[in-house]
Amino acid sequence: MIFEDLGKQLKKDTFGQFGIGLTILFVIVATLCPFIAQDPDAHSILTFQPPSSNHWLGTNDVGQDVWSRVLWGVRTSLLIALGVGLLTTAFSTTIGVTAALVGGAYEIVVMRIIDALLAIPTVVVLIVISAFIKPDIFMLIVLISSLHWQGGARILRSQTLAVKNQLHILAAKTFGAGRLHIIVRHILPELGPILIVSFIYTARMAVFIEAGLAFVGISDPSTISWGRMMYHSAKFYYLPVWKWWLLPPGFALSLLIVGFTFLGYSLERVFEPRLKDA
Amino acid sequence: MLRVSNLSVTYGTRRILNGIDLQIQRGEVLSIVGESGTGKTTLGLSLMGLLKEQAEDVETNGEVYLQERDITKCNEEELRKIRWNRIAMVFQNVENALNPVYTVLDQVKEPLMENKSWDKEEATLKSLDLLQKVDFPSHRLNAYPHELSAGEKQKALIAMAFVCDPDLVILDEPTASLDVASRQSILERLRLLCRDRAVLLITHNLAVAGGFSHKTAVLYGGYIVEFAPTKDLLSQPRHPYARGLLRSYVGMDRAKDLQGIKGRVQFVEKGCPFHPRCTQAIALCEDESPKLVSLGERSVACHRGGIVPLLEVKALTFSVGPLRLIDSISQIVFEGETLAIVGASGAGKTTLAKTIMGLLNSTEGEVLLEGDKVERRDKDFFSRVQMIYQDPREALSHRLKVLECVREPLDIQSVGTNKQVRYERVKAVLEEVELPTEDEFLQRYPHQLSGGEVQRVAIARALVLNPKLLIADEPTSALDASVQAKIVKLLNNIQEKRGLAILFITHDIALARKMSDRIAIMHAGRIIEEGPTGWMLSSCSHPQTRELLKAATTIERLRDSSDES
Repeated sequence: MIFEDLGKQLKKDTFGQFGIGLTILFVIVATLCPFIAQDPDAHSILTFQPPSSNHWLGTNDVGQDVWSRVLWGVRTSLLIALGVGLLTTAFSTTIGVTAALVGGAYEIVVMRIIDALLAIPTVVVLIVISAFIKPDIFMLIVLISSLHWQGGARILRSQTLAVKNQLHILAAKTFGAGRLHIIVRHILPELGPILIVSFIYTARMAVFIEAGLAFVGISDPSTISWGRMMYHSAKFYYLPVWKWWLLPPGFALSLLIVGFTFLGYSLERVFEPRLKDA
Repeated sequence: MLRVSNLSVTYGTRRILNGIDLQIQRGEVLSIVGESGTGKTTLGLSLMGLLKEQAEDVETNGEVYLQERDITKCNEEELRKIRWNRIAMVFQNVENALNPVYTVLDQVKEPLMENKSWDKEEATLKSLDLLQKVDFPSHRLNAYPHELSAGEKQKALIAMAFVCDPDLVILDEPTASLDVASRQSILERLRLLCRDRAVLLITHNLAVAGGFSHKTAVLYGGYIVEFAPTKDLLSQPRHPYARGLLRSYVGMDRAKDLQGIKGRVQFVEKGCPFHPRCTQAIALCEDESPKLVSLGERSVACHRGGIVPLLEVKALTFSVGPLRLIDSISQIVFEGETLAIVGASGAGKTTLAKTIMGLLNSTEGEVLLEGDKVERRDKDFFSRVQMIYQDPREALSHRLKVLECVREPLDIQSVGTNKQVRYERVKAVLEEVELPTEDEFLQRYPHQLSGGEVQRVAIARALVLNPKLLIADEPTSALDASVQAKIVKLLNNIQEKRGLAILFITHDIALARKMSDRIAIMHAGRIIEEGPTGWMLSSCSHPQTRELLKAATTIERLRDSSDES
């Protein structure tokens, strides 16, 4: 049903088509990296080369092919997007739904933690923690997720509160259904649209945060990251290389984020009928 | 006067009567009621000693004392003296009971001249007197039986039975061939004739039994299943069969739609004779026939002690702060019975339903299910009590298909070993609520169904666990009138078939009238008046009830008021 609706919606939604097209393009690139790009770590003495038929975007300060590194960078960004998206949604769903269903002291405690997290500037906290523990990419995923579930949890709690007194859920209770059955069979399907939209927006945010952290120098040096490429290239701003070293990763990053944003808008319209014809 | 003890009659291998015990005093009328084939007429014939003439292989056991004499021990000669003189019978089959070559008058006076050796003149006078008493038309006295109407023949037969002044009269369906008006007049006359005699009235007509007899025995499969003063039996039967009979009876004082008894009369080898048709039968009922047990003035033969009280709420209260939304309500719902809770919006009806279901926690009082106190609402409780809701579209998840909706309770309760078993049960219950069972229908979503279909799916879902009690909260108020009619019929039919007890919640007393056996009026959280439906409609006294009745829809009244304007 959801996919039928999505198909119908996409037919008349150019932004949606654009978003989904971009996302699919990035996924294909990430999959085909080994075949369409050179070894991104291969050094050479040909440093700071301008674009040529061998090196489409030239080479950097240690003679690596910039085009290949941009392509391989898609993998990192998508991995971050997927990892943080899934983990954050899992955190916020578990915490938000249980808070609404269990209630009592548990709910009060959870809600105060959420309020506290919402008040803290999480990016600053991320920078401080990362500076200490120097995370690799998987650690980074966990770190970003554990600081960004609070907004989703709040929304999911309020939605669960609205859903849980619906008649068909009361009816399920009168067949003797336990909490797990009610969550899995009734509440999660009701929350499905919100989960998907929140997943897309979290993924977008995660890509941006990772690039931002790398740009200020906080990233695993062995990871190929667009943010890190920009961080390095910015050191050579007095050379003309920034044109083909600094701009392409920035452009790729913007494109991915724009793709996610349009996809998110489109999905929101599918799931929220009131927005459908807007 | 008459005492029958442990009377049994067997035709060949088939037992027609089993251990019948009866006593009739002089001046008392005892009626035997039951459907055709339950052994009523056999009982009458056996008291007359006429069974031998019916069949060769008949065997009678037990004792029948007429005053101090056991007539089962009498030989044919002695019996002939007793018949007509001391015991007379009005036969059911009016067509064959009269001798075609005698006129009416000759026929009536024959027993007087034969048995009592009266002379012709005396006999004629006495016969004329009796024929007049039964309102036989005087110009037809010399007619032959084939010239008489069925009613006239019946009157002649009654006159014949009483002409020798017997002590015991057996009336076998005395009014069956009469129209309603003459039935009433003949019953009046019979009542006078029967004074100071012992009378056994055999009838399937409860109205005749009710208007004529002091005590009533309900006969089924050759057993007396309930014996009680007629008034008590007709107002509150305790045996499921007696209730079934009463529900099948058409009368002006009946409000609820007619319901029959499931199945048909069948011969049972062992166990309670009624168990194949009984909706509350347990394993014991199949093995052992129950004894007639005395409960005060009444006796009932049932292993479960008569109709079981299924749900009992005692002083149930639900309050929010100082506000008592339900104020110490005590009610009993019996097996197979519909209790309607009627009241205006905000009277607390739905709160009561939710409190019973455990969706709200009662502040005081208790709920008993089949005699056991309900401590917590677990799967076992919900497999016996189910609820249907006012708005079926809200009550079904719009993300589940019909099959998944109806199967959900089975999945939750882990009924059956695999999906196939559950699938079969879903199909069976859909058939029961008269919905299609094709896969195409099973794969539809609720929003693809009509209002009536959705409510049927909701009912099917509530019935799939075989509950004993169904709480129906305004189940038809969101539906069109024609669909409402069908749902009401459906619920009544399912009740007849399954013995389902229904707690029917409605604001519409006219609807409650069609659905319920009893009505309880709710106002401001309290039950202000309750009683059998027919009685409530005619004799209720509480002003609030009168108000509800006045507001109930009547097409006639609407027309009157539009005329005035």
